Amino acid sequence: MHDVYLGELEQIVLLAVLQVGDDAYAVPILEEIETQTGRRLARGALYTALDRLEKKGCLRSRVGESLPERGGRARRYFAVTPAAVRALKASRAALQRLWKGLEALD
Amino acid sequence: MARVPRAAERLVAAALRSAAERDMVLGDLEEELPRRGRAWYWRQALSIAWHASFRSSSTVPATSQQGDSFMRTFVKDVRYAARSLFKRPALSATVAATLALGLGANAAIFNLIDRVVLRPFPFADPDTVVMLSETGRGIEYRKESVSPANFLDWRTEADTLVDLAAMGWWNANLFEKGDPERVQGFQVSASYFDALGVRPALGRAFVRDDETFGRHHVVILSDELWKRRFGGDPSVVGRSVTIDGEPYEIIGVAPPRFAFPDGASLWAPLSFDAKAASRRDNNYLTVIGRLAPGRTFEEASSQMDIIAARLAQDHPDTNRDRGVRVDTLTRGMMDDGLGPILSLWQSSALIVLLIACANIANLLLARAAERRREIAVRLALGATRARVVREQLTESTLLALIAVPPALAFAWIALYFMRASMPARIIRFVPGFESLGPDLRLLAFTLGLALVTAAVFGILPALQAVRSRVADGLKEGGRSSTGRQWLRRGLVVAEMSIALPLLVAAGLGVMGTNRFLNGPQGYDPDGVLTMKVVLPERGYPDAAARRRFIERAMDGVAAIPGVERAAITNTLPAGGSNASRTLEIEGHPAADPNDPPWADYRTVTASYFETLRIPIEAGRGFTAADREGAALVAVISRTAAAKYWPGEDPIGRRVRIKKGEWMTVVGVCGDIIQDWFAARNAQTLYRPVAQAPVASFGIVVRTPGDPTAVGGAVRQALLRVDSTQPVFEMMSMRRLLSERTIGLQFLAAIMTVFAALALLLASVGLYAVIAYLIAQRRHEIGLRMALGASGRVIVGMTMAQALKLTLVGAGIGLVLSVALSRVMEAGLLGIASGDATIFAVFAAVLIGTALVAGYLPARRAAAVDPMTALRSE
Repeated sequence: MHDVYLGELEQIVLLAVLQVGDDAYAVPILEEIETQTGRRLARGALYTALDRLEKKGCLRSRVGESLPERGGRARRYFAVTPAAVRALKASRAALQRLWKGLEALD
Repeated sequence: MARVPRAAERLVAAALRSAAERDMVLGDLEEELPRRGRAWYWRQALSIAWHASFRSSSTVPATSQQGDSFMRTFVKDVRYAARSLFKRPALSATVAATLALGLGANAAIFNLIDRVVLRPFPFADPDTVVMLSETGRGIEYRKESVSPANFLDWRTEADTLVDLAAMGWWNANLFEKGDPERVQGFQVSASYFDALGVRPALGRAFVRDDETFGRHHVVILSDELWKRRFGGDPSVVGRSVTIDGEPYEIIGVAPPRFAFPDGASLWAPLSFDAKAASRRDNNYLTVIGRLAPGRTFEEASSQMDIIAARLAQDHPDTNRDRGVRVDTLTRGMMDDGLGPILSLWQSSALIVLLIACANIANLLLARAAERRREIAVRLALGATRARVVREQLTESTLLALIAVPPALAFAWIALYFMRASMPARIIRFVPGFESLGPDLRLLAFTLGLALVTAAVFGILPALQAVRSRVADGLKEGGRSSTGRQWLRRGLVVAEMSIALPLLVAAGLGVMGTNRFLNGPQGYDPDGVLTMKVVLPERGYPDAAARRRFIERAMDGVAAIPGVERAAITNTLPAGGSNASRTLEIEGHPAADPNDPPWADYRTVTASYFETLRIPIEAGRGFTAADREGAALVAVISRTAAAKYWPGEDPIGRRVRIKKGEWMTVVGVCGDIIQDWFAARNAQTLYRPVAQAPVASFGIVVRTPGDPTAVGGAVRQALLRVDSTQPVFEMMSMRRLLSERTIGLQFLAAIMTVFAALALLLASVGLYAVIAYLIAQRRHEIGLRMALGASGRVIVGMTMAQALKLTLVGAGIGLVLSVALSRVMEAGLLGIASGDATIFAVFAAVLIGTALVAGYLPARRAAAVDPMTALRSE
C-alpha cells in the first residue's frame, strides 16, 4: 500500500495500539489515549476510527476467547500492520523536517 | 451488579452494520458496565450510535448499494439536514421555539375538543348510544323534553332501539350519621346502566321490578359518594339509608369515575304512579337508548318518526305537532354554545400557528439567501433541483419534529392550568373536562400537524432556493432578487393583518367579561351570601308546611349577629336557573293567542328588594301584611310595566297566571340581570312567597362585610329549624356571578393568550425582516452616512419602511377584525358587541409594538461606522 495518509486521530489510535501491545482491545486503547493525551475521546469516535483503520489496512484484528463477563462475547484484539508502522514513521519524519530550524519555539 | 440496559443494547446493535463489530462493541461495554453503571452505558450507546450514523457509506459493500438507493439518499438527507441545523444552533432554536408555541397551543385546544366534544363519555361503544328528544312548540331544551306516557309508548313500540331508559333530575336529601347533605341524584329506568354499557362495581343494577311503584325505594351509589360518606365499606350493599325522609335500600355501587349525567352521585329507579304514567303534557325526562344490533341510526330515526305520527293521531291535544329527534348521546348532551366557542379557539390557535409558519418561512428565506451560492454551486455541478428541494424539506421536517416534545410540554402545562382553574361544580356539567390531558391521540395529532406545518413553512424557501438562475447565484456579491424581498414583506404584512383580529377578539372577550362581572347588575351583589334549599315532598307535603319552614328559617337567620337582612326567592339571580309564567293582563287580551304575554316569575319574601337593594320605583314593595288569605298582590319590573301597560300606570291593575286568581299590581321595581346570556332585564313578576310557598328556593343574606363569615352561623340556624334538611351551594353572590360566567372568563383568558402570542410572533417577524433589509442595505447606508446623512435620517428612513409594512398589515387587519367581530356578536348572543374605539385601540397597540420592533434594528443601522460598511464589499 502506498502513500497512506493518516489523520491526527488515526495516528493517536495507532500509537496507542502499539503502546498497549499484545492485549490491545478497545477498552485499554481508550484508556491509553485518555491518560496520555489528557483529552477525552468519544467511544463512538474510537470505534469508527478502528473500523476505518482496519479497512485501510493499518490494523489487523483477531478474535479472542469468549468471556462470561462480556455476556459470552469475545474480545477483539488489534495489532498495527507493518504498512501502518511505515506510514507512522513517514508522518513523523515529515513533521520533523517541518520542525527543523524552529527549535526556538520550544 | 448493574444489568445491561436492553434498549441501549438494541440501539447499538441497530446502529452497527457488521455482526463482528456488534459483538466487539457490546462485549466491551458489558465488560466495563460493572465499573461504570447504567447511565454511563446509555451515554456510550448514544455516542456510538451517533458516530456510526456518520460513517462514510463506502464501508457498505458495493453490492448492497444498488436497489436501496432511495433509503440511502433519505438517510443521507437526514444526516445532511441534521448537520446543517447544528451548524446554526441559534436559528434552529428560534425556529423550534416559535413552532413549539404554535403547535402547543393547537395541541391544547385539540385535546379540549377531543375530550369535551368528540368523545366526552368513557362508555363502551359510545357511537351506538342515542338520545331521544321530543320536538315541537314549547319545548326549549333538547334534554328534559319527553313526557312519561310518550316514553312508555316508545319503549314498548321501538324495536330498532334496545334498553330505552328515561332519566329525571332528582335533588336528593341524603341524611346519614346526623349530617344532611343535598346530593345530585337521578331517577332512571331499569335499563339505564345497560344502555350505557356500565355494570355496578358492587351489588346489582336495577331490574324492571324496581320500577314498580311502591317497590322503587332502592338506590345505587356513585363510587365517590360511597367512599366519602360510607368509608368505601362493601357491606353497605343491603343497608338502608334515609333520603328525602324515606328509607331506601342500597343495592349497588357504580364503578369508579362513573357520574353520568352531570356528575350524578346517586341513582334510583324512575317509577310512575298511575296518574304520572298517563301524562303527555309534562315534558321533563331525558331518554337514552342503544341501537339494536345490526340496526342503523337512520332506521331508528324513521321508526321513531312513525311512532310519533301515530301518537299524534291518538292523542291530538297533546301530541299534535310533536316529533322525535334521534341524536347520538354525545351530540344530544352537548351544550349548544360549546361548539362555536371551541371552533373559535381552534381557529385562533391555527392563526397563531400560521403566523409562526410565516416567521419561520421568513427566517429560512433569509438563510436560503445566504446559501444561494452553495446551492448554485451544487446545481452547477449537476445536482438535480428535486434533490435540493428534497433536502430543504427534510430540513424543515426535522425542525418541526424537534419542536414536538416542547410543544407537548407546553400543551400539558396549558391543560393543567385549564383544569385547575375550573371550579369542580362546573366541571361536572362539562363531561370529559376532568379527563383533559395528553394521550396517544394528542401525540398523533401534534406529529401530524408538525408535518403539515413543515410542508407549509418549508415549501416557499425550498422553491425559492432552486428557482434563481445558477449564474446569478455564482456572481460574487450577488444580492437577492427583488422578488424574494417582496415575498418577505408580504409575509410580514400577512402576519400583522391576522394578528389584529385576534387582538380585537381578545379585547372584546375581556371587555365583555368585565362588564358581566363588574358592570351594573340591577342589584347590589357585594356583601351578599347565597345558598339553596330544596324541601322534600315527604316532610313538606303542602303549602302550610313549607310556609312554616320559610318563616322559621327567616326568623332564625335574621337573628344572627352580623346579618343585616335575609330573604328568600324561588330563583337566585345568576343562579343558573329560571322560572317563567304565561300571563293574562286584565283589559289587554293577547293579540296573538299563540304568543301570549309572559314574564319571569319570582316568589320572594317581603325583605327581598331591600336585601338585594333592588329599587322600588313606583308604588310599594311587599310587607308582612301580604300574607296567606290577604288580597293577592304582585310587584312587576320596569320592563314588564313598559311592555304590558305601555303609557299607563300599572299600579292597581290586575294580572293572572293561566286561569289562576287575579293579583293586583302594587309596585314597580327596577330591572335586574337574571342571566347575562339569556335574561337581561327580562320582564319579571314578583309575588310574596307567603301567598305562593315554593319547595325549592334560594336564600340571600346581606352582611356589612365578608358575607362568607356568617356562613357557619346561617347553616346552624337552618339546621335548628330542621336538622335533616341540607343547605347547599353556599357562596357569596360575587362568586356565584363569577361561576356563572366562567365560560366567558375562559374564553377571554384563552383568547388573550392567543392574541399575545400572535402579537409577539408578528413583532418578531417584523423585527427580523427589517433587520434583514438593513443588512442588505448596509453598503448603501454606509455611503449615505459617509456623504453626511445623520443617524436620525437613517433611523427615520428605516422606520418609514417598518411603518409602511405595519400600516398595510393593520389596514387589512381592520377589515378582517370588523368581519370577525360580526361573527362573534352573532355567535355569542350579542355579548361581545364592539365599538369603533376598540378597533382603534388595538390597531394602535399593534402599530406601537411594530414600531418598537422596527426601531431596534434601525438604531443599530444608524450606529454603523460608515467606513466599516463601505469596506465590507
